[in-house]
Amino acid sequence: MNRFWKWTAGIFGVLLVAAFAVLSYMAGSPKDAYGMMRYALPHMHRGTLKVGSDAPDARIVALDGTSRFHIRERTGERPLVLVFGSFT
Amino acid sequence: MGDVVQIYEDYKARADFLTVYVREAHPTDEWQMKSNVKDDVCYAQPKTLEQRVAIANDFTKRFEFPLPFGIDDMSNAANDAYAAWPERIYIVDESGHIAYRGGIGPFNYRPEEAREWLAARYGVVKHESPKSPTAAAPASTTGAAAAARATTSTPAPADAAK
Repeated sequence: MNRFWKWTAGIFGVLLVAAFAVLSYMAGSPKDAYGMMRYALPHMHRGTLKVGSDAPDARIVALDGTSRFHIRERTGERPLVLVFGSFT
Repeated sequence: MGDVVQIYEDYKARADFLTVYVREAHPTDEWQMKSNVKDDVCYAQPKTLEQRVAIANDFTKRFEFPLPFGIDDMSNAANDAYAAWPERIYIVDESGHIAYRGGIGPFNYRPEEAREWLAARYGVVKHESPKSPTAAAPASTTGAAAAARATTSTPAPADAAK
């Protein structure tokens, strides 16, 4: 039994190292792999919206920092292309 | 990488556009990329709305970003509703339904799919010269900055879309 657990732990460790190596390769470096796991993956979600779903509304702040408007105020007459993103 | 700005120029006579600035993808205090340093795009993750507004204004001024622009507030309501982070595109049709749901960036962020949706409805807008991804705005890694990249000089008449 002791031998079984040693093998299991060893294989698990090797798989972990291999997974991190693959992620490092994909992300560019081990630091980026860590950054991806620590900061990106927790925030990335597929969401529940599908084609045909009602478009959710949300209050948006204008560039002046004080005015507000709603996404759904911009829908109705023509298609609305919504582009989400950040600077970095 | 597609070109949201060019899509906007091509179809703004037919469709509305809105860019929503969401939480930073690669701030200095989280997962900063080397390319951010190279491009001098170094910001900490905003802790206040004022900081978000300031960064958003830096972005729009730096790239002379032409799309209508808004900022997700500190509750991240828009981001949560659309599962938008770090970058994503949707198209909402006239009836208020999702007509196109883009993939999650950066790997599945494909503005060309939004262009295809618009082209299917309003016609293809052709450009004589190939786009040059490095011609205009300084390269950035993700997000709206990436969308601002490759602002070509090829003018597209508003009536080019049928």
